[in-house]
Amino acid sequence: MKFSYNWLSELLDGALPGPAELTRLITMKTAECEGVELFAPALAHAVAARVLEVTPIEGSLNVQARIDAGPLHGIKQVVCGAPNCRAGLVAAYLPAGAELDGRVIRKVTISGVESDGMLASAAELAINRDHSGVLEIDVEPGSPLPGLAPDHVIEVDNKSLTHRPDLWGHYGMAREIAAITGAKLKDPVKASLLPAGEPLYKVEIEDHSLSPRYSALVFENVTVQPSPLWLQARLEAAGMNAINNIVDVTNYIAAELAEPMHAFDADKLQGNTIYVRRAKTGEPYDALNGESYTLDPRHLVIADSGGAIALAGVIGGAGSAINGETTRIVLESANFDAACIRKTSAGMKLRTDASMRFEKAQDPNNTVRALARAIELFEIVSPGIRLRGGLIDNFKAPPAPAPITLPMDWLIRKLGRPIEAAEVRAILESLEFGVAEPTPGVFEVTVPSWRATKDVTIKDDLLEEVGRMVGYSSIPPEPPLKPVERPWVNHERLFHHDLRQKAAAQGFTETYNYSFVSEAMAARFGFTPDQHVHVLNPISVEQSLMRISLLPGIHKNIVDNARYSDEFRLFEIGNEIHKRQGNGLPHEVPHLMAAFHTKADGQAAFFELKRLAECLMPGCETVPTSSFGYEHPARSAAITWRGRQAGRIFELHPSLVESGRASILDVNLAVLSELGPEPKRYQPLRRFPSSSFDLSVVAGLRELTGELGRRIRAAAGANCDSVEFLYSYQGQPLPGDKQSLSYRITVSAPDHTLSNEELTGIRSAIIEALKAAGYELRG
Amino acid sequence: MIESTLSELESRAAASIDAAATPDSLETARVEFLGRKGALASIGKDMGKLPPDQRAAVGKLLNAVKQSIESRFDARKAIFGKAALDSRLAAEWLDVTRPAPGVRPGSLHPLTLIQRELEEYFTSLGFAVVDGPEVETEWHNFDALNIPATHPARDAQDTFWVEGGHVLRTHTSPVQVRAMEKFGAPLRIIAPGRVFRNEEVDASHEHTFYQLEGMMIDRDVSIAHMLYFMKGLLEAIFSREVTVRLRPGFFPFVEPGFELDIKCLICGGPGCPVCKQSGWVELLPCGLVHPNVLRAGGIDPGHWNGFAFGLGLTRLVMMRYAIDDIRHLASGDLRFLRQF
Repeated sequence: MKFSYNWLSELLDGALPGPAELTRLITMKTAECEGVELFAPALAHAVAARVLEVTPIEGSLNVQARIDAGPLHGIKQVVCGAPNCRAGLVAAYLPAGAELDGRVIRKVTISGVESDGMLASAAELAINRDHSGVLEIDVEPGSPLPGLAPDHVIEVDNKSLTHRPDLWGHYGMAREIAAITGAKLKDPVKASLLPAGEPLYKVEIEDHSLSPRYSALVFENVTVQPSPLWLQARLEAAGMNAINNIVDVTNYIAAELAEPMHAFDADKLQGNTIYVRRAKTGEPYDALNGESYTLDPRHLVIADSGGAIALAGVIGGAGSAINGETTRIVLESANFDAACIRKTSAGMKLRTDASMRFEKAQDPNNTVRALARAIELFEIVSPGIRLRGGLIDNFKAPPAPAPITLPMDWLIRKLGRPIEAAEVRAILESLEFGVAEPTPGVFEVTVPSWRATKDVTIKDDLLEEVGRMVGYSSIPPEPPLKPVERPWVNHERLFHHDLRQKAAAQGFTETYNYSFVSEAMAARFGFTPDQHVHVLNPISVEQSLMRISLLPGIHKNIVDNARYSDEFRLFEIGNEIHKRQGNGLPHEVPHLMAAFHTKADGQAAFFELKRLAECLMPGCETVPTSSFGYEHPARSAAITWRGRQAGRIFELHPSLVESGRASILDVNLAVLSELGPEPKRYQPLRRFPSSSFDLSVVAGLRELTGELGRRIRAAAGANCDSVEFLYSYQGQPLPGDKQSLSYRITVSAPDHTLSNEELTGIRSAIIEALKAAGYELRG
Repeated sequence: MIESTLSELESRAAASIDAAATPDSLETARVEFLGRKGALASIGKDMGKLPPDQRAAVGKLLNAVKQSIESRFDARKAIFGKAALDSRLAAEWLDVTRPAPGVRPGSLHPLTLIQRELEEYFTSLGFAVVDGPEVETEWHNFDALNIPATHPARDAQDTFWVEGGHVLRTHTSPVQVRAMEKFGAPLRIIAPGRVFRNEEVDASHEHTFYQLEGMMIDRDVSIAHMLYFMKGLLEAIFSREVTVRLRPGFFPFVEPGFELDIKCLICGGPGCPVCKQSGWVELLPCGLVHPNVLRAGGIDPGHWNGFAFGLGLTRLVMMRYAIDDIRHLASGDLRFLRQF
C-alpha cells in the first residue's frame, strides 16, 4: 500500500515529522514501511509556458519551439518531439536545473539545435501515465502547475496490514500518525451531505451474513471526462491509474477511506431493485476486465432484474460499465463478508484493489461515509452533477461486540514494565477506543467499528495497542523467575550430530540438498514418479517430486564438484520422504549418504566408504547382494550391523559418473536410532600373554575374505582373540584361477599361558576344518 | 722422585688428550696412559718397591693424577660425542614446509554449525530440542496457528501443497503445536528445521531454508521475559554488539507480535541485496503466544501464557559468515562448504 505524504498531511492538523522520520515512526509503531521515495520532484520546477512559434528541424522528427515561460524564465528555445507541440499551446515547461527521473535537465543540443529545458508530458511529470504528448494546461505562462507539487510516497508492506482493514486508506494511517505524533486528525467526510428522502432503488440482500450493508446513491447530469490534474496526481502517487473522473473518485475514496465503491451506468440497469445474492449455478458473467466467467453459488453477485451486474467486492460487470455517454450513475458503497470475498478472489485468481480491501473485513459503518465524501468530490470533478432521490441503504448491523475487560495488573504483568493507568487511557483514546473504568484498575474498552470487524477482539489485542505506542524499546529485558527442569533429551538429534562429526573427521564434508527431485532425475536412478509424493504446485518440473532417496542430490553434488576437483568426499544427512497408504503424513526416514569420488581406482573409493561405515558402525559387515540399476553390478553390498540391515555400500554405476569413479554409502538412520547406542561393558584385560600365527589359504579368485575369516574363527575355538586378514597373493606357483589369502590368528587363554601343544592344537583344528571344506594351505 | 715422574706424566697425558683430534687418537691416548698396560698402571706396579712409609702418600698422589687424567679424558670424550650427535642430527635435516600426507577432516555445513550452537545455548537454559515433520498437515501448519483457510495471512506464505491435502511446512511454527500436544505446560522448546516456500530462487530468496522455532509457556510470561531471551540469543550468536530494533509485526499466532530486526552485517546499513537495500534484516519475528494457539495445543490460556519466536537460521548464517548469495547454501559446492 502506497501512502502520499501530502495526502496524509491534509488529513492532519499540526506539524508532522519529515517524510523519512514519519516513515521510521510508522515502522516502529504501526506497520513495516518498505521505503519512502521522493515523488514527482520535477513539479517543483515546472511552470506553464506558451509555445510562440514552431519550426521544423531538417532531418528530424523533432521540432524547434520558441516558448514564453513567463517573467522569471523569459523566452526560451526548446527541442520537442511531441506530436501536439504547436504554436499557441500552453504546456508544462521544465527549465534547465530541474530534476527528472533522477537526472538533472541541462542545456543540450538535440538534432543540431540548442534546447534550453524541455516541454514535459504528464507521464514525465508523474501526474498520470499519458506519454502521447506534452501536457496541455490552461494557466498563465510562468505560473506553477495548479494544485501540483512534489510529494513523498511511503510504501508499507501489505503483509503487515493484513489485520488492519482501516490502514488500507490514508485516513486510517492519518489516525495512527495522530496517535503517534499528537497531531489532530481531520475527518474529510461531511455526513450532512447525505440526501434524505425516498430512494430510487430498493436493495434486497439475500444473506446479511455475506453482505451486512449495501448503500448507494443515484446521480444525474453526470459528465464523464478526465479528472483534474491534482486528482490524477494523487492516484498516481498512490499507485493507481487515472481513468475518468467518476472512476477516479471511487478509487480516490478507496485509497482515502478504505471503502471500495463501484459506479454503474444507471441507464443500463434493468428494474429498480438491486439484488445482493449468491450466483446461480452456471450463471454467466462478463467482467470489466474483458474476461467471461461462469459463476456458482459460492460467489456473491450484485444483480438487477436482468442478471449479475457485478461480482460483489471483486470486479464490476462489462454490461453496466460507465463510458463517455453515461449521464446517470448508481454509486455503490457496500460491505461484504471478508472470507467470501477472499474465497472468490482466490478461486478466480482475481486480485483487485477492492477484493484486497474487503478480504481484510471492512467496517460496515464506512459505506455511507464514503458516499458523503463522493457527493463532495463529484461536485468538483463533474460540475452540474445532481443527486436523485434519497440515500439507498440496506443495513443489518451485526450485534455490537461487548466491551473488552482490561485489568491494569494483567496488562503490566504481560508488558513487563510499569505503566500508569492514565497513560494507557490516553493511548487507547488517541486511537479512538472508548475507555470506561467501572472498577478502579480495570478498564472496560469499547472497540471502534473500524477495528472491531476482526482485528481487536481480546485483551491481548489491547496489550499490543499499548505496547506499540509506548514503544517496545521502553521495555527492559528481564529474566523470568521460573523453575527450570532438565529438558527432555532429543537423542536422535544428538546422534545425528555425532555422526556428522564422525563423518567429517574421516574427511567427508557436509552438504545440504533440496528435498525436491525432478521426474527426469528420479528416472536416472530407476525411480518411477508414482513412488514419490508429488508437489501439486511446484515452481518448476525440477521440483515436482519429494525425494525418496538422497542419491539424486548426492549424485548432482558429485557431478558438479568433479568439474573443479578430482578427488573429494562429501555426505548429507537428510530425510527420505516416502508415500504412505491413506491420507496420513508421508513417512520421513532420516538417512546418511556419503560419497567419495576419485579419478583413480574404484576399489580404493569403495574401501574408503567401507572405512567410513566401520567408523560409524564399528563391526558392521558388508554382505554381497544383488545390485540396483544405479549400482556397479559387481561392487555393491548390503550393510548389516548388530543383526539389522542398516544400509548399502556400492560403487555408482560407471554410466552415471563420467569424470571418474564414485562410491556411495547409504545408511538408514532410523534403524541406527532403533538400535540405540551399543551397550558398553568392561572386559577384564587378559593377564596371560597371547600368541599369534599366520596361515595362508589357497582359494578361488572370488572367495570372500570375510567368509573365509569367519570360517577360520569358528574353527579356532573359544581362545581365539582375533582373525586378521593380512594380504592376498596371486601368481607363481599358484595356478591362474587361485589366490592365497593370508590371515593372522591371535589366541590366548584367560587363566594361563597357552602351551606349545595347545597352540599346535588350535592351528591343526583350523587346518583340518579348512581342508575338510576343500581348501589347501600354503607352506 | 716419583712425585716429579707423576707430575710429568700428568702433563704429558693432558697434552696428548688435548691434542687428540679424533675419537681414535683420543682412544690411543687413553690406552697409553690409562690402559691396563699404560703408564699409570706400570707406575702402580712399582708401588710395591717403595718403602712402606711412603706408599700411602704416593698412592694418594697416584689416584689424584689418575682422576685428573680420567676427567680430562671424559670431558674430551663428551666433546667428541656431542660433535658426533650434532653432525648426525644435522644430517637428519627435514624440510618442515612439505605438506603432511593423509586425509584432512571434512567440514560441517554452516547451518549445522549454527544449529548445534543454538541447541547448546537453549539446552543450557532448560529448552528441549524437538523435531517435527517436513511434510505437515494443513491443520498444524495453519489452522492450529490461528490461520484459518480464509485468512489473508495465508497469502504471505507461498505454500507448496502435496498429495493428501498436506503441505510442505512453511515455517517451523507447527512444531509449537506438536510440542504442546506432546509435553503440555510449562514448556520450553526450540525446533530447528527445514521449511519451504513456493518462491523463485535468487540471491536472497530460496524455496528451501532453515528456521529455529522457540517457545516458552509458563505463568505470567511477559514481553520483558521474551526480550531477555532474544537479547541473550543474539549475544550468543554474534558475540559482538549488534544494533537491533523491535517493532510491531503481524503474525496470527502471536498477540502482540513483533519483528526484531538487526542492522545488516553485510553492508552495515547503506543497503545491499541481502537486506533488500533496507539496511535492516528481519531476523527474529516473535510475540506472545495467541490464546487460540494455546487452545489448539490443549493448553488453557486462562492459566498459562508464553512467548514464541521464529529465528531465520539461513539469514543468520548469511549474516554471521557474510555470505552474500543464499544459493551457495544448497549448491553442494565444496569450494564453498570447505570454508566452514
